Amino acid sequence: PKKYQFRTMRQKLLDTADVLDEQIDSMAKTLQKHHKIPESEFGNPCIASQFSVYCCGRIVPDSPSAPVEIRLNPDSLFLETSRLGGIGQRISIDVQFLSEYSFFPGQIVGFKGKNPSGERFIVEQVLDIPYLGAPASNKTELLEYKTNLDGSSMKTTVLSGPYTPSTKIDYSLLESFVEKLNTEIKPHSVIMFGPFLDITHPSIKDGSIESVPEIQGKKITTLDGFFRAVITPILKKIDSRIQVILIPSTRDSISSHAAYPQNSFERKSLQLPKNFKCFPNPSSFQLNECLIGVSNLDSFKDIKDVNRGKIGEKNRFDRIADHILQQRRYYPSFPGALKTRTGSDGTVEHISGADLDMPYMGLSELYDVLPDVLIIPSEMRYFVRVVKNVVVINPGYFLTGNNAGTYVTLSVKPPNPEGDDDDLTCINDDDQLYIHNIWKRARVDIISV
Amino acid sequence: NGDDLLRPLESCISDAERFKGAATLELTCTCGAHFTFGGIQESPSYSVTFSGIHCNGCGTELSSLRITSQLERLIRKHISLYYAGWVECDDVSCGVHTRQVSVYGKRCIGNTGRSVGCKGVISYVYTDRELYNQLLYLESLFDVDKARRQELRPLQDDRDDKSSPDSGEMKKGISQSTLDALAEQNRDTFRAFQSVVQKYFEQCGRRYVDMASLFNFS
Repeated sequence: PKKYQFRTMRQKLLDTADVLDEQIDSMAKTLQKHHKIPESEFGNPCIASQFSVYCCGRIVPDSPSAPVEIRLNPDSLFLETSRLGGIGQRISIDVQFLSEYSFFPGQIVGFKGKNPSGERFIVEQVLDIPYLGAPASNKTELLEYKTNLDGSSMKTTVLSGPYTPSTKIDYSLLESFVEKLNTEIKPHSVIMFGPFLDITHPSIKDGSIESVPEIQGKKITTLDGFFRAVITPILKKIDSRIQVILIPSTRDSISSHAAYPQNSFERKSLQLPKNFKCFPNPSSFQLNECLIGVSNLDSFKDIKDVNRGKIGEKNRFDRIADHILQQRRYYPSFPGALKTRTGSDGTVEHISGADLDMPYMGLSELYDVLPDVLIIPSEMRYFVRVVKNVVVINPGYFLTGNNAGTYVTLSVKPPNPEGDDDDLTCINDDDQLYIHNIWKRARVDIISV
Repeated sequence: NGDDLLRPLESCISDAERFKGAATLELTCTCGAHFTFGGIQESPSYSVTFSGIHCNGCGTELSSLRITSQLERLIRKHISLYYAGWVECDDVSCGVHTRQVSVYGKRCIGNTGRSVGCKGVISYVYTDRELYNQLLYLESLFDVDKARRQELRPLQDDRDDKSSPDSGEMKKGISQSTLDALAEQNRDTFRAFQSVVQKYFEQCGRRYVDMASLFNFS
């Protein structure tokens, strides 16, 4: 897609600021409309007032020097206003009167409360953010998908890199997995997330990638050449009847677009056959009626919330998935995560990070509908949850450290708009539109590699 | 194009000056030795021969993949560092150093965190200009013509300041005729190394002029 072909390494501070500002204002509009709040009741939370006002802003830490790794606490929260809402000022927020909440830096929130002294905004109520609608299909399309499947379930395998152990470059596990994919699993499609060759792998850093046994004898001069000589042949072995979807990681050596949102791989330059499709990171696409949203940036690890009450007792992944759906962005944290290593002499070395290209973060929004299935691979333990009727999947990594990890198979019962079961929900009799209810028809298995 | 806007100024200064702040390329040999690679020039740790780059410690030639993988890792580390988006306030009495950005961008959040009070101007610590220079520096290391003309950034930046007789000797280490021959012999392999840097130049927004920003004076 063209929009993702932006040039990297040219981030302007004012463009970054525009995006940050717009995120607040567009949420303010959504909240006004949803809660039917007259614009006059929206006020600036930073100035003293005897009356309660509604306001919208971004959760930020109270100190500019707070490192992103540090978990905030209820006393260290500030609310940042937009240019329009409060000339960009930030105000300390008091959340002690809330019985439950979950806040993280970068989150856009709507509050009702008051600021009696001018020093602190006392939050009385957190405004619910409305969810986007579910995708729907008409009867003709659904019947077509049903016929295509010939009664069987639609089967998709999902796996995520790294595909090599963390101590050496070795693709034998992936090679044997491809064999299993072709002979045992036999899915209709496979979604593979990068990194395929992780640029932060220690064997790349010290150059010892040259000692990989399979390539001895062949003259490979670059990492891109290595991909084509070692990884492409393995991927090519995937049965041509299986549709393969590749989603890059910003740590993929083969990608020159090292920022999120990230442009797709180039299928031709990877020398991959036509059953391969390369999509951007993040992106959404349909497999039959099923709308799948994918993002290859670890929101489940990076969103660290401060919470209280019932919401805090919920499963953490449910809570974070809910935030993603509410915020309508695949990676709602700001600033993005950083990975560093502290040497024995106390020097801090930069390793990698979320690498957010802020001016283009609009490309990481969920747009007009929720996905049926949301897949975000994470370093955290694999899981499958249903949140707001969205099937949320972390397939886990193909290899964790040096050990075989996990992958996922997603099977979806074919849609049957003519059946009596409540597998589909008819929302409009005239147009014969149906909500997919994938969560009712899907079965997700997490399997050890 | 965009380059012309920069070149007249920047290309006039020597590599030694222009790339002073750029991070050096550290190579690790199979024997475990580390050294700073500065292109075809005299170094106690490595030698460029007719067959390639050799480690002086063990005498082995470093394979192309060994070199390009370390080079590409360094490039990606710098791109990631750039995208970490550290910003800084130019008011020394404030000195805020953070990754948070105000909705006004250049306005300082200040030590109070309230985005009021400090009149300093915020800017990115690692600028796209520095990143671009870093890439240019890495490309220059494999520029055989520069090596021939002895225009590479010296391995020791302060060598000229201390005009000890030793360093004078060092500079004469490789004779011009040898330099010419080495440059020609390594031209093709070095071009392959440069292609790794060029992969990122093609992506680099700084290389391409943004017409809108040129003609928008608001």
